[in-house]
Amino acid sequence: MSYGGAAPLHQSSQSDIDEIENLINDSVRFGPATILPARPPSSPRASIPVSSSPFVPSALHPLPSSNKKPLPHFAVPSFSAGPSPQGIATDGLGPPTNTLTEPIWDTVKRDLTRIATNLRLVVFPNPNREDPGKALRDWDLWGPFFFIVFLGLVLSWSASVKKSEVFAVAFAVLAAGAIILTLNVLLLGGHIIFFQSLSLLGYCLFPLDIGALICLLGSNVIIKMMVVLVTFSWSSWAAYPFMSTAVSSRRKALALYPVFLMYISIGCLIIAVD
Amino acid sequence: MDRLQPPVENYANPKTCFFHVLFKAAALAFYILSAIFIDSFVIIFVVTVLLAALDFWVVKNVSGRILVGLRWWNEINEQGESVWKFECLDQESLARMNKKDSWLFWWTLYLTAVAWIFLGIFSLLRFQADYLLVIGVCLSLSIANIVGFTKCRKDAKKQIQQFASQTIASHFSSTIQSAFSVV
Repeated sequence: MSYGGAAPLHQSSQSDIDEIENLINDSVRFGPATILPARPPSSPRASIPVSSSPFVPSALHPLPSSNKKPLPHFAVPSFSAGPSPQGIATDGLGPPTNTLTEPIWDTVKRDLTRIATNLRLVVFPNPNREDPGKALRDWDLWGPFFFIVFLGLVLSWSASVKKSEVFAVAFAVLAAGAIILTLNVLLLGGHIIFFQSLSLLGYCLFPLDIGALICLLGSNVIIKMMVVLVTFSWSSWAAYPFMSTAVSSRRKALALYPVFLMYISIGCLIIAVD
Repeated sequence: MDRLQPPVENYANPKTCFFHVLFKAAALAFYILSAIFIDSFVIIFVVTVLLAALDFWVVKNVSGRILVGLRWWNEINEQGESVWKFECLDQESLARMNKKDSWLFWWTLYLTAVAWIFLGIFSLLRFQADYLLVIGVCLSLSIANIVGFTKCRKDAKKQIQQFASQTIASHFSSTIQSAFSVV
């Protein structure tokens, strides 16, 4: 901090409040700023508002609202991350809700929309696919969780014997596989974010989910193999750009091969289960 | 306790407290009781993990905000790096938080993790690898919340201390200035 704790020697026209605010703003800018105390709403009930101002000292008089700086986002952090354009409609902008149902429904809806958006981004063709930074900016793990559990359930249902083992194996292989694949990329010197990669690998399971569902309904081995082949290549196509851009080009194969291996083994599991 | 003291404050958010405890207790109860009633491991797994995930969501999004005024989440910024954000209410509102609420919040958080660890040791001793899977998932969800909120609370305390010392320093210097300007 350039001031070092002492205020500039202005005339007394600059009030205490402004000086302290400058100090705070400086420290917020230069400091680690890992925590952002939020300004409370005008109601006495304590709830975290969606305000965008930096830390405001509550011991002093309330600052005029012109001091609000647009900080990125105080969205409801669900399991997922990232900003949300609406914010929490109930906090900070009006009277706090007294029931739990309202905010929960809003948050649930927002989460579901996020899952749908992520799915569309990853699995279906769209212009942003080549850019891994944009691909799963708002990563979330709910989608992958549902897809893994769904795949395990379908496989377990198709199995006539050893249902529990099939489920446990499928879940463990997918969960551990995603973690290990991410570590693999990190150890190869790639630049990915751990949870983003987990999220991506989970979302790329969606085609295999569809394949498993279709195989559950049909029984011919040849048809099963065709379906699995199609869905496996769809999954790999979805996972390819993200993984390949994360590592240097010489190590692309090293990063991609385990991914394909994992999806192939799940495909074989789908075919073999009957 | 002295009977002449004013009555102890009650829970300020009984519904939130209830939900906070509900899913944790349901997951633990279902897991423990299911061994008696239910044969299929798949059902035990899916229901327990689903309840644990719901509990994670409720604690992170609802009861953390309402009971203790803390929040944490992860963002990916423009440079593509992941940033963990921790947020708390300002000091005045934090001081107004109900003591019983936050006591319940923290204690149930820790106790659930301990309970899962205990059950995990149990199934380890019985060599049940698939039940360990269930416990692993539930335990990691509990620990994630514990770590997140504990970091939040520590950062909140540090920030408040920093701010307090800054306030004192700047008040002090401006008082001296005004004293000199008057003279």
